[in-house]
Amino acid sequence: MGVPFEALLPFGIIIGSFTVGSAGLWVVKNYANEGKKARWNRDLWDRVMMERDYRITGTKRGQSSNHEAPKGFELSNPWKLEKRIF
Amino acid sequence: MAQREPQFNQQSLIDTTPMPDHIPKVEEIGATSAPLYSAAYFIGDRCKAYNDDFMKCKQESNGRGEVECLKEGRKVTRCAASVIKDINTHCLKQFTAHWECLENNNHQLWECRGPEMKLNNCVFEKLGLKKEIPGTPENVVPVHLRPKQMYSNHIGKQW
Repeated sequence: MGVPFEALLPFGIIIGSFTVGSAGLWVVKNYANEGKKARWNRDLWDRVMMERDYRITGTKRGQSSNHEAPKGFELSNPWKLEKRIF
Repeated sequence: MAQREPQFNQQSLIDTTPMPDHIPKVEEIGATSAPLYSAAYFIGDRCKAYNDDFMKCKQESNGRGEVECLKEGRKVTRCAASVIKDINTHCLKQFTAHWECLENNNHQLWECRGPEMKLNNCVFEKLGLKKEIPGTPENVVPVHLRPKQMYSNHIGKQW
């Protein structure tokens, strides 16, 4: 008594969908991190430093070891504005 | 860095007015987080006096340190930039290997002890700067000199 192949078709669809979904997520994550491993467990200091990296290099995960900042870097520091509640 | 994160901030203000001319200029450091972290202990070794001087000035100026300690601050910046420049000229390969490892491992030093050892040796030979973790007890091996790292992804000796 063999299992008819029609019974296995849904499993193929399920497995295929999970594969496509996870591959898509992997591609998006890889692209967003420019091929490096993602940062995790970042605290305030790390987030501020990553913003500073972005202002220096212009890409999210780019790094640079120059000892001189690019021109205009010292004037690109943003003040984050809050709305007054009271 | 501000003491607390802004809550619900919708926009940021970028003020492009340059500093007034009566304040002397200083070149900002262009190294990003991973190279800075990699070079941190060497910066600490060479610039300890300047850094301590700056912190003392800030402490003694009763909250007006941003204005009154500009001179000390410029010294701190210049000293750190000099260390980074020296490492870049003498140990570029080891330095790049270490900070790329850090950047790929969430800036966790214990994942990158192998490249760090090479960098430390090179910097000590060429520049005479030594990595010392402040506050390490004298009767234990400092954590960066232990080949096996407890929480590392790489089980076993790193170099």
